[in-house]
Amino acid sequence: MQPSPVHCPECGAPAPFRGAAVSLVCEYCGSTVVRTGVDVRLIGKVSALLDNGSPILLASKGNFDRVPFEVVGRLQLRHRRGTWNEWFIAFADGTIGWLTDAQGSFSVVRPREKTIVAGKVPTFGGLALGATIVVQGVPFVAVERRAASYQGAEGVLPFAAEPGLVFHSADLRGHDGEFATLDYGEDGEHQRPTLYTGRAVELAEVGLQPLRRFEGWRA
Amino acid sequence: MTEPTPKLFRDEAKAESVKCLACGGPIALHTFGARQRVVCPHCGSTLAPQDSGALAVLEAAARQRQTSALPLHARGTLEGAEWEIVGICWRRCVVDGVAYPWQEFLLFNPYRGFRWLIYSISDGHWTLGGNLDGAPQILDSRHHAVRFRGRRFKHFQGAAAVVTYVEGEFTWEVRAGDKADVNDFVDPPDGLSIEQASGPDGAELTFTAQHHVEPAAVWKAFGQPGKPPRSHGVGALRPNPWRRHRRSIWLSLLVFVGAWALLTWLLANGRQERRVFADNNLDFADAYSRELTIGREGTRTAIEFTLTAEPLENSWAYADVMLVNLATEEAVGFGVEASYYHGVDGGESWSEGSPRATVTIGGVEGGKYLLQVQPQRDTANLPAAGELFIPIYPAARSPTSYGLELVEDVFLVRYSALALLIILGIPMFGGLMGWLFERRRWQNSDYSGTSE
Repeated sequence: MQPSPVHCPECGAPAPFRGAAVSLVCEYCGSTVVRTGVDVRLIGKVSALLDNGSPILLASKGNFDRVPFEVVGRLQLRHRRGTWNEWFIAFADGTIGWLTDAQGSFSVVRPREKTIVAGKVPTFGGLALGATIVVQGVPFVAVERRAASYQGAEGVLPFAAEPGLVFHSADLRGHDGEFATLDYGEDGEHQRPTLYTGRAVELAEVGLQPLRRFEGWRA
Repeated sequence: MTEPTPKLFRDEAKAESVKCLACGGPIALHTFGARQRVVCPHCGSTLAPQDSGALAVLEAAARQRQTSALPLHARGTLEGAEWEIVGICWRRCVVDGVAYPWQEFLLFNPYRGFRWLIYSISDGHWTLGGNLDGAPQILDSRHHAVRFRGRRFKHFQGAAAVVTYVEGEFTWEVRAGDKADVNDFVDPPDGLSIEQASGPDGAELTFTAQHHVEPAAVWKAFGQPGKPPRSHGVGALRPNPWRRHRRSIWLSLLVFVGAWALLTWLLANGRQERRVFADNNLDFADAYSRELTIGREGTRTAIEFTLTAEPLENSWAYADVMLVNLATEEAVGFGVEASYYHGVDGGESWSEGSPRATVTIGGVEGGKYLLQVQPQRDTANLPAAGELFIPIYPAARSPTSYGLELVEDVFLVRYSALALLIILGIPMFGGLMGWLFERRRWQNSDYSGTSE
């Protein structure tokens, strides 16, 4: 089915939804547009993005494990220790992932089957830092747990990034460099988080182009 | 509607310069927005960025600015990447009443993120660190150790570190007086550090990967004049020069021994051994004398002189040999003894010696020689004239005649063995030096074994 062109209910500008995208931030007026079936719904404005110095740009293209991808959206999150960016990436093979930029530490993770960890991991509240959590036979160490709110967004996202939403997540790290994130969503008191796995990357390694320019620096 | 276009920050990011809200001094901001804390270099006041981008005073201070080993905002290319020092943090720990201070330089590159260049003041060594991409496995053993990516890192030192001085921009909520438990693990030239600080979510763990950097490389990278402060001692991560090439040393040892064996075999076989003379059936009653030519003029050669006595059974023969160089009149004297004994002891038969004895002499100058041989023998069991010899047990026969043989250009086993000894000695020496180096390194650890 060829989707019919969608327009921003707020300003009438084209709203280029694509792939698995559920919500889109209008490039012209900053409104968040949510796609529900054939309808679009306006959920107001996610508070503005902060310039946290990310070198990544919307529509940049790169490669991860030899699969080309494009940066199609950004979710900026804020927690106790500042903001970080989750760049929503669409792979050429139709899968999706996230390119995380947390103060210059980059990683690529992809969503995994929820059943892998369902009932086998502690709740967000019950997760102790430093504890070992085994995921599919691989031991991980819980290194960070945080409650974060949506700070801002741009481009398309696979869910409705409603302003003010707080979500809970925990970062796990493996002994061979494995990265995993448990995303508990709004309510952390359950044992069915969404699992993301991946690894740390250098920006040069994913060959992202174009990159933002910084005064006095060459990419 | 005429809403302003949302800010998307796609244009070039600019470095900023602001005035300290506490002391009015200029503060250069070079991290393009990733900062969490700004500490005024001039007065030490702590500032925090607001959503608007402006800074707000979090804690006013009035400390003096101090000089660090490297200046704030210095740029340098280290290991192929350009970095700028955006923050400086001094920390120290106290072990057995002695303070060990160090300086941490927060390095920044907008495309690569942050690194730490750490200068240990007490020994002058430098390390470069960054986030560890993963979490080490704590190995439960008496000697604490951790494993990461299949490598084992031994616990080197554990101490409580305190922040004593701060200036510049930081991605975390740095504060003078901050305490953290730091445990360093080493597998030189790489190290791994675990920092534990208490936070609102419980113990916060930070894992850092570190490696050794030569002081001169740091100095050159950041364009510092003169020479870096002298380093002394081994340092926790300085690579062991005796072990860095351990694998290649053992590999080359294998190659050398192989080459030695081949060369020895070739030399031993490929020698053009030449018999200078051979005389048999000589009478012990007569001294032997003759002129002969050994080798070529101007070159040196090795000779093999052989005495054969027969019959020889439980008896001996001896030759006193003198070789006089006719040109230089220099003489070489030596003795050759051939003896052969055998018997039965407690039901076991034994024998030693041989009726043939050889002496090898190296470095004999080529030229004409006069050979003089004075033979001697055991005369206890000579057959009487015309007597038909009937062996009785134990048989003993004194020699009745002797033979002489001189061969030149023979292979010298002792030189070959010496070469092998040198070949084997090098890695053994290296092993010893490597062990001593590690011992010196660990003298500065928690496991020095010295009572304070």
